[in-house]
Amino acid sequence: MSDIRPMDRRLQLSGILVIVGLLVEGLCLLWSRPIAFVVLVGLGGLLIAAGVLLFLYSLAIVDRANHNAR
Amino acid sequence: MPTLAILALILASALLAAVLVWRPAITINPGGKILAFGVLFFLPAFCFLAGLNNEMERSESTQFCLSCHIMEPFGKSLHVDDATYLAAAHFQNHRVPAEQACYTCHTNYAMFGTAKAKLGGLRHLYIYYLGTPPRPQDIKLYQPFNNRECLHCHLGARSFEEGAVHNADPATLPAIKANTLSCVSSGCHDVVHNVATLDKQKFWNGGQQ
Repeated sequence: MSDIRPMDRRLQLSGILVIVGLLVEGLCLLWSRPIAFVVLVGLGGLLIAAGVLLFLYSLAIVDRANHNAR
Repeated sequence: MPTLAILALILASALLAAVLVWRPAITINPGGKILAFGVLFFLPAFCFLAGLNNEMERSESTQFCLSCHIMEPFGKSLHVDDATYLAAAHFQNHRVPAEQACYTCHTNYAMFGTAKAKLGGLRHLYIYYLGTPPRPQDIKLYQPFNNRECLHCHLGARSFEEGAVHNADPATLPAIKANTLSCVSSGCHDVVHNVATLDKQKFWNGGQQ
C-alpha cells in the first residue's frame, strides 16, 4: 500500500464518498418519510458531489502534473 | 423512472465504484479511465438526479403529506360523510386525483408554484422536527386561500359559470374571478377540513382499494 500513487489514493477516496452517498440515497428512496427528502439532498447529495468534485479535481491535478513534466 | 430501477442502478453504480476503490490501478488503461469517468462522474450524477426526481414526485402524494402524525386529522377529514365538507367532497368524488389530493389544492398555480410548495414543505419539516408544532386544529394557512387554485379547474366549467348562486348577483362571478370574493371564506364553501369537529362526524371509507 505504501507505493500507491497519489492519483489512486484520490480515486479511492472519491469512490468511497460516491459509494456512501449512493447508499444514503438508496436508503432514502426506501424510507417513505418527509425527512428522507432532506437527507437525500443534504447528505446524499453532498457526499456524491464531494466524490465527483474530488474525482474532477484529481483529473485536473494529473493533467497539470503531466503538463509540467513535459 | 420507477424506484426499483433507480435502486438497481444505485446498487450497480456502488458495486462498480467499489471495484475502482479496490483496484484503482486499472485507470492506467484507457478502458479503466472511461470506467472511472462513468462510475465517478456520470452514474452518480444520473442516480442523484433520478432519485431527486423520484422524491419530488413522491412528495406530491397524499400518502407523503399524511405521513406526518400532525396531518392525520386532515387525512381523516377527506373521509367525512358530509358533502358540505369541501375537501371530502372533492376527494371522494375524484374531483382531485385521490393520490395527489393535498398537492392539487395546496400548490400554487402561479409561476414557481411547485418550488414554493416544496420550500413551504421544508418549513413544515423544520417546525415539525425542531420547532413547536401547533395542534392540528390550530394549523392555519400562511396566506388566505387564493381563488386561483379553485379556478384552475373550475373556471369555464358549466357548473361554476352558470351556478345559480354564482349568478344571483351580476357582481358575484367577476368578484370571484378577481379573487376579491373568496370561495372558501365568504360563507359559501367555508367548511373545508374543520378538523376540530371531526369527532362528531360519520365517515365514508368506500372506494378504497
